[in-house]
Amino acid sequence: MTVAAPSRFFFEDVVLHGVMETPAITVTRAHVALYAGLTGDGNADAPVAPELLLVCLTTGLGWRMPQPPLAVLAFMGVEWHVDAPLRVGDTIHSRSRTAVKRAMREGGVIVEEREVINQRGETVQHGKFTFLVARRPAAATAEGGSA
Amino acid sequence: MADARRFFDDIEVGEAYESPGRTVTETDIVLFAGLSGDYNVLHTDAEFMKQSIFGERIAHGLLGLSIQAGLFTRATQAYATLAFVGLRWKFKGPIKIGDTIRLRAKVTAKKETSKPDRGLVTVERVVVNQRDEVVQEGETDLIVERRPR
Repeated sequence: MTVAAPSRFFFEDVVLHGVMETPAITVTRAHVALYAGLTGDGNADAPVAPELLLVCLTTGLGWRMPQPPLAVLAFMGVEWHVDAPLRVGDTIHSRSRTAVKRAMREGGVIVEEREVINQRGETVQHGKFTFLVARRPAAATAEGGSA
Repeated sequence: MADARRFFDDIEVGEAYESPGRTVTETDIVLFAGLSGDYNVLHTDAEFMKQSIFGERIAHGLLGLSIQAGLFTRATQAYATLAFVGLRWKFKGPIKIGDTIRLRAKVTAKKETSKPDRGLVTVERVVVNQRDEVVQEGETDLIVERRPR
């Protein structure tokens, strides 16, 4: 039996105000050391995780959801606030909500509000991601249209 | 030993820095995909990306953002930073494999906070490639210690 590769999640598939809650990941000393070595940001010996490491990890958490990945054409921007420090050894997950869905000629703009939440349910970081997302190619429309 | 870090009191609005260059390699992108778990085809599928407007794989936007944070520490003597608290950021163009990026940063504001031992420093940042094209830009807010009295 052949199982097809999962399709991508196109602009048309995005549900305005839809909420996604991801699985969790424990932030370890190894994450901090790899991140610090790769980027030069952060201190491998500090008890607190580099703030931007958590932003990076939330993007990967989205890939552990059963829904296919968003067909991102370009990452346009991010606005971000750090509410509290996160200690190495803490466990985070993210919750996101589609706040804006705006059609453009080539694809559409999606603004996603995202929170990073620790194991006690406290929001440690929050902000907004803006993406340019592809429209579903005409040949692949669920309606079977021949446009 | 004297504390060589620069405190809130030492930093002046208008100060500007330029970092050394940093060539972004395929290895950086592969490691970042593994670390973050972001395997988007933009960064990982060379064949798919031949057909895209970029023509090849590009670096994760957040990899560029993280590298500029590292470059900041090489652009100026270390700040006595307690925390990074805010970011307003735009991704203006792709960073491709082999591109060399550098950071231009400038202090645009200093504010007292409710706590007397620290202040807020806003830094405007522009990331340019080897052709001097802006690939990312924005502002960051840092909480910096005041010089101990």
